This record gives sequence, structure tokens and C-alpha cells, in this order.
Amino acid sequence: MECAAERSRELAQASTFYRAVYSEIEEVGWENLARFSGDLTSLSFRIIDGKGRVHVMEIQLDKTHPKCPPSISADVPYLFNLKWSSKSRLKDVVRQFKKHLENLQAFWSTLDDIDRSLWVVDPKQASPAVSYRQIIIGNDCCITLFINSVDPRSLPECRFIGSGPFVNTLRNRWRRNSKRWIKDKPFLENLECLLETQLPMPPDVEKNDQQVECGICYAQSLPIDDELRDKNGTGTDYTCDNTSCNKAFHSICLVDWLRSITTTRQSFDVLFGSCPYCSEPVAVKINSFKR
Amino acid sequence: MTSSSASGRKTLSKIACNRLQKELVEWQVNPPAGFKHKVTDNLQRWVIEVNGAPGTLYSNETFQLQVDFPEHYPMEAPQVIFVPPAPLHPHIYSNGHICLDILYDSWSPAMTVSSICISILSMLSSSTVKQRPEDNDRYVKNCRNGRSPKETRWWFHDDKV
Repeated sequence: MECAAERSRELAQASTFYRAVYSEIEEVGWENLARFSGDLTSLSFRIIDGKGRVHVMEIQLDKTHPKCPPSISADVPYLFNLKWSSKSRLKDVVRQFKKHLENLQAFWSTLDDIDRSLWVVDPKQASPAVSYRQIIIGNDCCITLFINSVDPRSLPECRFIGSGPFVNTLRNRWRRNSKRWIKDKPFLENLECLLETQLPMPPDVEKNDQQVECGICYAQSLPIDDELRDKNGTGTDYTCDNTSCNKAFHSICLVDWLRSITTTRQSFDVLFGSCPYCSEPVAVKINSFKR
Repeated sequence: MTSSSASGRKTLSKIACNRLQKELVEWQVNPPAGFKHKVTDNLQRWVIEVNGAPGTLYSNETFQLQVDFPEHYPMEAPQVIFVPPAPLHPHIYSNGHICLDILYDSWSPAMTVSSICISILSMLSSSTVKQRPEDNDRYVKNCRNGRSPKETRWWFHDDKV
């Protein structure tokens, strides 16, 4: 009998817990709930900040909720101290998280600034919690900047990577000029001022996409070579007509290949053969350059 | 059309160098399963370790491929041989020469070292007997002066193996 009483007390407790959590999720909005565990002790909310960035906050609830404060994790560089009383509800956690996100806006806009104006090589796809950027500064050197998430516009900590003498010069300049870092100035301007050099822009992604690699030499542009004369440095200029292949080539490479096999036929100045990729017929003119 | 007797001797053209560097990077990022490129600073000769695929006649056996690139790679196929002891296979001679059409007449610049490796592994994996080609002794004798397999006039065995 005692056992049954125990069990029913447990059930009652559990149902109180579920009812409480359901009503609290309702307050936050079901549409913001990204994931939850079956027993409702683990919830993830999708929160959009003032700049439209989407964040996910995970909340672990204690079975005695709301007596004990929930524990929180999120994709942010550091977390806030949750203010919690036994009367607090989930919407209070969300409100505090949103406020924390607003405090971090300066941090993220600094990193956005870096991503936009500098040649970042690491991380390739940064999580909002990551506070460093490795950027190319020329002469085979990189600098890794660690942005202070509490004071993002202050002089960042840095680490140089590259060849000895050049890195030493940069390190000395950094040390000598570090007093010239001014919080109100744009990040790029500060960095160039400290390093006394102009920094390379990020490679233009769109431009790179338009330039296609040749299916034979694997290069976008032909190498600079005396043999190639006026074809030096040109991009691909021939595309396989077969629409499901569409492979791009330098006509010079394709001609070289067709000339090296015995099945190629020539009529006047046109070589007839087959595409090295799809074997469909190709025809390419040879008199556009001299060898 | 092009003589291949000097393959592996003349230094690589700029185009060959550039292409091989890209192939090597791609290999390092995405190596074909069962193969290990032995790191050297020689771009013109790759030594590749092959592990027989599990569940085949060659499982737990390791072989070495030697890949030499001609000056005008990829217009010409690389020379690919097994470093003896070569696997016992109906299309592989005891001196390491491999009878495989894509290494000779059927080569195309659309192929890569990686795709050659996969072809060779599938050739090994589909074998049902461990034996040398019928003409092994005659062929190996003819090659005694260090002839390259690329100078052989190959007729290709059936494509079942």
C-alpha cells in the first residue's frame, strides 16, 4: 500500500512538472522551441537577435523546477549569470539571454568587420562563439587575432605565424605601435596602422567562381611561359558542347592532348577528336596560336 | 606519337608540375582507400603503398607502386609498375609491369593517379586465381635491359579480371 502511495506521489509530482514546463514554453512561444527531450528536462530555443542572427540556447531543467535554477548553454563566447528565484520562469531565462545577445552585438560586428575586409583563412565557417580569426597579411605570414568578447574594440591579443625575420619585424612594430590603437577607429585602420602595412583584401569569391579550372592542366590560367607566347596567363576558352559534361579547357591544352593521340583527325586547321571526360566529339581550332 | 623512352628522366614541364601539385593536395585531403602515398620531395616519382582489400585473395598483403611522370604529363600517361615482389596476378608480370589499358592506349587526362590506383586495386580485388600471365617468362626476358612497360606493344587480356 505504501508503495502505491509513493508511486502516486511521484506521478503527481511529474504531472505538475510537465504542466508547469508546458505552460512556460507556451509563454516563450512554441514556434521558438527547436528541440526537446521526451521528459522535457532538456529544451532548445531558437532566439533571433536584433541584427537577425539566429542563436540556439539549450536549457537543462531540474526535476524540481522551478526550485533549482536551470543550466544553460549556447553558441556565445561567454555566458551570463542567470538571475533566478523560485518564482522565475523560462521566459525570464529567454529575456536575460536576449539581453546578453544585445551586449554581444559589438563583438559580432567587429568580427563581421574582419570577415568582410580581411583575408580570413581560419575559421572557414565561424560559430558565433569563436572569438579568433587567422588572417593572411602577405609575405607568407599570418596573424591570429583574439578578439576580447567583453571589450571587442580594444587591442586584440595576437600571434604571428610565418618566416622568422619578417615575423620579427612585424612583432616589433606591433609592440612599438600598440599605444596607437584607438577604439573608435575602424578595426582595419587600426590593424594597418600597427603593422605599418597595407593588408590584403579577401579574395573575391565571385570572381573565383567565374574562373574555371581547365580539365587537363587543372589551372585556371596558363602559366607564364615563353613557349606559350601570347597565350600567357589566359583562362579557359573552350567548353565541351555536351551539356551534361560542360568541362572547360584551355584550347591549347586540348590541342596538345588531341595531338598526342593517334585517333585524332585534322581537317585544315581544325582537330577532331573526343572530349577526354565524356568522349563526345570535340572540334578545336589550332591556328589561334603558334608553337 | 611522342616517344616515351625518356619518360621519368626529363624534368616536368610547368603544366605537369602544377597539375601534380594539385593532384597531391587532393590526394592528401581525400586519399583513395587502401593506399598510402610515401612522402618524398620528388614530385616526379610517387611511391604508393597498396593494401590488398579485405576479403580478397590479396587481403593482408602490401605492395608498392612506383609512379613516374613524363615531362608532358597529363598529355602522356604516367609509368606505373609494382616494385617487385609484385602481386601474383594473371595481368601482372613478375618484373612489376601491369597489363592495364588505361596505363597505355586508353589513358586520358581526365584520369588521375588516384583513379589509376582505384583501377589497379579493383583489378587485384576481382582476381580469382593467383598466377602469373602465361607469357611471363618470355616477356620478362625481353625486358631485361630495363625497358619501360610503355614501350611494350600491349594487347589487352580479357576485361573480366
